[in-house]
Amino acid sequence: MLPTRLTDRRVLGALAAIATAIAVAGCKKTENAADTAAAAVAPAPDTTTPAAAAAPAINDAQIASIVVTANSVDSAAGVLAEKKGASKAVKDFGKTMVTDHGGVNKQAVALVTKLNVTPEDNDTSKQLKSGGDANLTKLQGLTGKEFDKAYIDNEVAYHQTVLDAIDKTLIPNAQNADLKALLVKVRPAIQAHLDMAKKIQSTQTT
Amino acid sequence: MSSPVRCAAIASVFALGAVAACTRPAPRAHTVTIRNFAFDPAELTIARGDTVVWLNTDFVPHSATARDSTWDSKEIAANATWRYVPRTAGRHEYYCVLHPTMAGTIVVR
Repeated sequence: MLPTRLTDRRVLGALAAIATAIAVAGCKKTENAADTAAAAVAPAPDTTTPAAAAAPAINDAQIASIVVTANSVDSAAGVLAEKKGASKAVKDFGKTMVTDHGGVNKQAVALVTKLNVTPEDNDTSKQLKSGGDANLTKLQGLTGKEFDKAYIDNEVAYHQTVLDAIDKTLIPNAQNADLKALLVKVRPAIQAHLDMAKKIQSTQTT
Repeated sequence: MSSPVRCAAIASVFALGAVAACTRPAPRAHTVTIRNFAFDPAELTIARGDTVVWLNTDFVPHSATARDSTWDSKEIAANATWRYVPRTAGRHEYYCVLHPTMAGTIVVR
């Protein structure tokens, strides 16, 4: 086990908010997810603390854990879509999610190894995992067009939420330059996945 | 044909060939960098005979696939390249088959 060098448990309020948003997005309908995510990733300002003295809302070890968990969760859903998807578009999308999120995780693991950081479980990563598991359970019970629709709806909501979290929480709070650079490099992948999922969603019929 | 005349004729042919070679630029290689899930430049103009090299700097595989299916790189791995010489003049639209929102154009003069 690698030693944890970056640990800061001071502020978990924002984390909990993001975790809730991502977990909710995974289970709710798409039309509600964007609003929920937008509200959750922008925690209410703490008017009692001067901005200059504010501690990071989340530390690098926690960010690393969120990155790895978020990728693993979507990769697992992709494996299922590749297997159970009814349309070629959904199967292909699932396959690409497995490849891409696997690629991101490879980079993330290489980075935390280089930095000698152990990803630190936190409310967000735990809820990402439980939300992902709930989504998989739900998808397991669906077939055909129902599966395709539920999977793609979740992918749209999930990637939108992750994108918001990257922009509003993860990149702004990352302290290590290499970790920040990784997040910046990951962002276009999440945006591309979101665009792809939306495009498939727009062609789906109920 | 006498020997001096034949030599002069041969020399002329070589000279003409040399002039022709000088007026047609040598084929060049152009690089399209795949970066942040986009082709850069998105549109590239080249001369016939030039080579296009796609360099994938992302950490996931991409492809450069002609919309009319006449050519296809298949998967270009992270940090790998793929070379192609478009032989036909005109606009060649292509995209990434893995990420269909990524698109580019090669214009062959």
